Amino acid sequence: MSADPATPLDRAAVATLVRGQLAEILEKSPADISDVAPFAELGADSLALIELVEALEERLDDYVAGFHIDDAALEGLHTVNDAVDYVAAKLHLA
Amino acid sequence: MSLPIALDAMGGDFAPGEIVAGARRAVDELGIEVTLVGVPERLGDPRGLPVVPCTEVIAMDDDPGASVRAKKDSSLVRAAELVRDGAAAAMVSAGNTGATMAAAMLRIGRIPGVVRPCIATPIPRPGTTPMVLVDSGANSECTPEMLVQFAQMAAAFHAAYFATPSPRVGLLSIGEEPTKGTPLVKATHELLAATPGLTFVGNVEGRDLVPSPVEVVVTDGFTGNVALKTMEGTLRFVLGSLLRLVDTDDETRGAGRALAPHLGPFVGLFTPENQGGAPLLGLKGVCVISHGSSDATAVMNALRVAHEMVSSGVVNSLRSVFRPGEGG
Repeated sequence: MSADPATPLDRAAVATLVRGQLAEILEKSPADISDVAPFAELGADSLALIELVEALEERLDDYVAGFHIDDAALEGLHTVNDAVDYVAAKLHLA
Repeated sequence: MSLPIALDAMGGDFAPGEIVAGARRAVDELGIEVTLVGVPERLGDPRGLPVVPCTEVIAMDDDPGASVRAKKDSSLVRAAELVRDGAAAAMVSAGNTGATMAAAMLRIGRIPGVVRPCIATPIPRPGTTPMVLVDSGANSECTPEMLVQFAQMAAAFHAAYFATPSPRVGLLSIGEEPTKGTPLVKATHELLAATPGLTFVGNVEGRDLVPSPVEVVVTDGFTGNVALKTMEGTLRFVLGSLLRLVDTDDETRGAGRALAPHLGPFVGLFTPENQGGAPLLGLKGVCVISHGSSDATAVMNALRVAHEMVSSGVVNSLRSVFRPGEGG
């Protein structure tokens, strides 16, 4: 799942992107990715989260060149909603 | 002209000297093409081998995931990228094992359907093909489903690499009965028994590792690594004791001289440097992990293993396990 740079990015689009990328990594349907379940419960270990972060950085680079997720912030991201909040805040999205 | 093997020249306790020396030997003695990946100012004499330059090194004690993210221009990450980009046929590293796993996963990628790659270490069996121990250190925490995948990958590896028609698979436990073992072992036993395409023979015990009655022994990476290092240490102690014993007086020295021609090949078979390295199974490309203490001989043999992994088409065999019909 990739974000379309022609489409303005908002919080909902980020949520779709995060769910889609995590679903791809875990080889599940996006519909099976809960926004509030801890990553561990979804089957995502630390390596899967690094895969997620790298995929998000690559996709969001189309919107903000050099978009980067701080490694220190990773420890505070436990759910899809946490990740969406972090990206939305970093990109100053509504 | 075939693609070279990308060698992380900065990884390992004796890098870059022994790594470069091993690469040179692989070129001269085995005819394998090798590209070094390293920091030119620290590499020293590349001994006529091509070098892909980089600026960073992942240390043995660096955090695996964080270092791969932070050190994007490291020799390890660049070596994995050469495989990803089709500029190298395989990669070899004697560096940080966890970081090698992370770099290979993030840059080369997993075969679709594979949850986690695993390290498959061949353990010699005199007179026949080796037993393959999976996982011997990549994944400390595993689920039963992961162990089943490890068994499937190791069996496919054994079939392709050693030309074994139906590799027998055993599950490492503390007794032969299916009711013995941890909850992980018991759940895995049940799943393995129900997995089509596997020749699962049940549980095996620690004493069945050398020599093993099966071609594949599956366990989690923590247990596998402890078992592997226990075997290495025990063998080193026994062989060292034997060598001291045959050098105590004239009588034992005479016996030693008589035994030497028979012991030599046996010792050589079980010398880790002669094995070289263990493949990381489950990736879209070939990655071989060599011991951190690898010398030039070990590096040369790790390159040999990588070369043979490519020529035997192991990756395609593994693909066909998870997506039947797409391999080959």
